[in-house]
Formats: sequence, C-alpha cells, structure tokens
Amino acid sequence: MDDFQALMDGFATVMHPVFLLYALFGVFIGTAVGVLPGIGPAMTIALLLPLTYSLEPTAAIIVFAGIYYGGMYGGSTTSILLNTPGESASIVTALEGNKMARAGRGAAALATAAIGSFVAGTLATVALTFVAPFVARMAVQLGEPDYFALMVVAFITVGALLGSSVPRGLASLALGLFLGLVGTDTLTGQQRFTFGVPNLADGIDVVVVAVGLFAVGEALYVGSRMRHGPPEIIPVEKGWRSWMKRDDWRRSWKPWLRGAAVGFPVGTIPAGGADVATFLSYAAERRLAGKERRGQFGRGAIEGVAGPEAANNAAASGVLVPLLTLGLPTTATAAIILVAFQSYAIQPGPLLMVNEPALVWALVASLYVGNVMLLVLNLPLVGMWVRVLQIPRHYLYAGILLFGALGSFALNFSPVDVLLLVLVGLAGFMMRRYGYPVAPMVVGMILGPMAEDRLRRSLAISQGDLSYLVTSPFAVLAYAAIVVVLVLGVWLRRRERALEVSPAGVR
Amino acid sequence: MSGRATRERPPAEHATGEQPPAAQHRRGELVLAVTIGALGVYVLLTAGSIVVPGSTNTLGPRAFPYLVGALLAAIGVVLTVLVLRGGAGQAEEGEDVDPAVRTDWRTVVLLLAALVVHVFVINVIGWPPAAALLFASAAVVLGARPWWRAALIGLVLGLTIQAVFGGALGLSLPAGPLLEGVPFLRG
Repeated sequence: MDDFQALMDGFATVMHPVFLLYALFGVFIGTAVGVLPGIGPAMTIALLLPLTYSLEPTAAIIVFAGIYYGGMYGGSTTSILLNTPGESASIVTALEGNKMARAGRGAAALATAAIGSFVAGTLATVALTFVAPFVARMAVQLGEPDYFALMVVAFITVGALLGSSVPRGLASLALGLFLGLVGTDTLTGQQRFTFGVPNLADGIDVVVVAVGLFAVGEALYVGSRMRHGPPEIIPVEKGWRSWMKRDDWRRSWKPWLRGAAVGFPVGTIPAGGADVATFLSYAAERRLAGKERRGQFGRGAIEGVAGPEAANNAAASGVLVPLLTLGLPTTATAAIILVAFQSYAIQPGPLLMVNEPALVWALVASLYVGNVMLLVLNLPLVGMWVRVLQIPRHYLYAGILLFGALGSFALNFSPVDVLLLVLVGLAGFMMRRYGYPVAPMVVGMILGPMAEDRLRRSLAISQGDLSYLVTSPFAVLAYAAIVVVLVLGVWLRRRERALEVSPAGVR
Repeated sequence: MSGRATRERPPAEHATGEQPPAAQHRRGELVLAVTIGALGVYVLLTAGSIVVPGSTNTLGPRAFPYLVGALLAAIGVVLTVLVLRGGAGQAEEGEDVDPAVRTDWRTVVLLLAALVVHVFVINVIGWPPAAALLFASAAVVLGARPWWRAALIGLVLGLTIQAVFGGALGLSLPAGPLLEGVPFLRG
C-alpha cells in the first residue's frame, strides 16, 4: 500500500495549479502536434528539450508526458478527417474512421476514438501503477549480463520490426549505433570517430539527430513530392448530439476494453510499439464481429475505430513500463523521453522508484490528469483542431524547419550544431526516400553506448569470459525470446501489409 | 517556380505503389546501400587506430566499433545485393506526400540552401533576421505567394520567438546588430 500512498502524494503534486497549467500546456501542444502532419511527439519533445532547461525536472517531465499522450489523441483526428492516405502507423484508424467520416459519421468516429482513448489510457495507467513497482523490484536483482541481453533484444526487435523491411531497419539501427560511438569513450577517455573536430569530442547530441531525422528529413521529403492545393478535410457535423448514438455506445465499449487489454501488454514488450497493438486489435475486432457486422469492416465499422484507438493509447502507457523500470526505450519517443530524463541527471532504471519516488509518481498522476484533460480538450474543441489541419503546407513545413534550426542552435548557441542538423536531415531525406525507417536509428544511438557499457562491465567482472553473458537464466530466456518475438513480429507484419493492400482480403 | 503550377500530374498509381522513374530511383538506392557498406569498411579500418590504454585488461574501446563496423558492412552487402536483384524499398508515405509526383530535386536543393545560409548568417545579422530569412525562403520555395506575406510572417515569428525565449526565458539567442539594445529581446 506504500505505492498507493506515493501515488496520492503524486496527485497532490500534480493538483498544484502551476503543475496543472504545465500539464495543460503539454497536452495542448501534444494534441496540436499530433494533429499536424509531419511532426510527431518524438520530435516535439526533442525540440522542447533545450528550451525547457530553465524548468525544474518535475514540471518538464509533466510537460513531456502531456505531449506524449496528447500526440496519440491528435493523431486519430488527422487520420479520420484528412482525405489523404496517412502513414502506416495510423492506417488502421484511417481504414474505418475515414470511411465513417465520408459517410457523414465523422463526429461519431472522433468521439469513439477520444472516449476510447480515455478509457483505455486510464485503464492502462492503472495497470502501469501496479505493474511498474513490481517490475522495478524484480529488476533490482538483474545483473550486468541480464541488462546486456535485454538491450540486444531491444536492438533486434526495434531494428527488425519498426518499418517494412528488415534489412533496412537493421541498417538504420547500425547507423544509429555508429553515431552513438562518436565522441569520447566513457571508460577509457579515448576519442573515437571525432575526425579531429573539437565539437564532436562530447559526442553528437541526440537532439540534433532526432530533430534532423524527424523534422528536417520530413520537410525535405515532403518538399520533394508535395501534394499541392489546399488539404482536403472532411467536414464534421456540429453539436454534441451527433457524437455517439446509443447503438454506437453499445458497439464501442467492448472494443475499448479489448483494445486496452491488447495494447498494454504489447506496449510493455519491445515488439514495435503501438503500431502492432492497433493492428492486433483491429484483427481481433474484425474476427469477433458478428456475421452482419463483418460486412461493415472496410466500409466504416465503428468497432474498427474504437478498438485500435484504445489499443494505441494503452500501448503508449505500456511503453513506459520498460522505460521507467529498466531504462529500456522501445520506441523513438520513449528514447527521447529517456534522453530528457538524463538531461536532468535522472537515470531511469530499477532504482528510479527508490531514488526519485516523488518524480515518478507525479508523472503517473499527471497521466491520469492528462487523460481527463485530453477528453475535455478533444471532444468540444474538434473544430479548432480542424482549423489547425488547414494550415497551408508551405507555412507549416517552413515553420518546422525554423523550429528545428532553433532547437539545435539553442543546444550550445553554436551554428556548427545547425550545420550538423542539415547533414542529418539530408540523411533522413535519403532514408525516407528509399524506405529506411528512421526510428531505429534514434533508438540505436541512445541504446548503443548503454549496451557497450553493460557489455564491457560484464566482461570486466568475468575477466573476459564470454560464457558469463549466458550464465544467468534470465539472459538465456531473453536470447530465446528474440527468436519468438522475431518470428511472431515478421508474421504480424506480413498480415498487416496484406491488410493495407486489401482491407477486405484479410480473414 | 512557375513550372510547378503548370506541370501535369501523371495519373495516380495508388494500386501498385510504384515510383515512376524506376531506373533512376534504383541507382540512388544503390548509392545509399553502397555508402552504408563503405562506412562499415571505414569503421573496421579505423577502429584499429583507437588508442588502447595499458590499463584495459578485457574489452577495450576497440571491440564495440569492430562490432558496429562489421554490422554496417554486412548489411551494406545484403542491401546492395537486394537492390541489384530488384528489391526496391517502399518509399515512406505521409499525409502531405503525393506518391504520384516525380521527385522535385530543385525544391530539395533550395531548401538545403536556405538552411545553410541560415547557419552562416546567425552570428552576422542576429537570430531574428536569420530566422525570418529561413522561414520566408523555405515557404516561398514550397510555394507560398506572395513572397512579402511569407517574409512578414517570418519576421513576426522570429521576433516573437526572440522575445519569448530570449527575453522572457533567458535563452541567449544573439539579437544581432540591428536589434542591439532593444530591452525585451535580450535576456
């Protein structure tokens, strides 16, 4: 019950008016960012990182948590209302939600997405509240080789499962590992791959790489083949009466709960994040729908919006479990949040809950509060988000470039960082163009040095005996899990791609 | 820039998802794959020259670079073979990306130029004018008309950011010679 008391203390912190304002700021920015095409939560947190150094850690973490959650809510608005095919992360919602909007039921689709996100987000946060302390207590007993094994699992699953092509994902991961090598070796103080440039002795800043890949790379790529003319947005009927009818509620509540049940566990394992969870939920809803309903799938079934959107948000909470208790990021956004923690000299891991209980529980409490705020923010304000969607694209991407340049410049107030940003942006452009996922690169860059550290310390303990890496049962289990997760993941990807090609073709 | 308005769009090919100029695309992808492999070889070759202090008894600072270099080189080879055998990558999709248009290299180069110019003028003319220049030129390159409206928005944006982050939050953005001495712009 100590945890419960700690959570209540967390609520007491978050309910402080100043922190409520920070949380509101976070979810507001997060939703706006989620609505806008071209920028995601990973990039926004990376951008805000240098700009929030003047905030105290708790406030900054609350803002970042708000952005993280808000981004998930905002994304659904875009895929439901924007009349263009979206990226594969939101393809499942777009599949049914977009069809619903075209049939004049956009408001119902938005409402079931928002309420489902709220229900699943809250349930998943409850699960996080109970699971995280438990995992942290177990994790204290893990040794160096166990952590190294966990990181190898994360490398391989992230590299192989984020993106559509396994070799390209692994290439992206390897490039990230290389960027992680640049700088001064922590254990021996030797410079590696700095090319004699003094700015590189401290390593390449993760902010520059994340912003370069996500913001500059995206802007260049969109610029290279831009959809011209104003964005086509499907109009939504006004008034709360059109949100959800009795029948919609009846058809939605079970998918919400099932989505939460699928999303949270999938989020906790390194299996590609929320993407996989939404697809699993969609497949489940389709299978469970009765005979007469199944025909509606692919033509605007509300279950196909309710389930995946719930799963999406539940997975977002699930991702926080390995991040907070093991210090293991499994998505690009989680990797950036890890960097945010580190920039405040806080190291996520099994000892985080012991060393920084106030911060952790304030973060968890802010997730509960943020969920409520997002529900309020999203349902009545949808008209405003629609207007955000209408921003002319030339101004939007010019603004993204400007803020990207600002974020990199503000790191050290040195134009060299901005030049580095441009180079990384060019790499991000090429990678997008040829189907290389960029997220594994960010994860690899952050996780690489940590893994090297663990490996070298393991071998220092065993005095160079490699078999020490596989002596603990946990490590053996982890290596065995790689095979299972990979086979399962690749199989899921296949099914997902089949689904994207022909929604009606998957059974 | 008038070419953009008159250019005809090829018919949409959503069903196949293929990029129109296939041969040229293939060559670019090959260059990327070979570059990754070459980077791997470079890492393998230079990892040996990292100084190993005498105190290291087990795994030194060279081991992990060797691992990463080998990984890069191996994947570079795999990808090169893959591309040569016709396995083209699936270009990323997005809300604002038109899969049916040819790559507009001119826009890419001009955007890069705007960024590079921004890098070199920050410390000369100060951050707000440099920001305005970057925003305006990028917006015009992407199709904003008339140009003076983009310039005006850029200027307002640059000054606002300077006032909020430089003035209020104390971020030391250089205000530049023109705005030197304006109190609310400097932290």
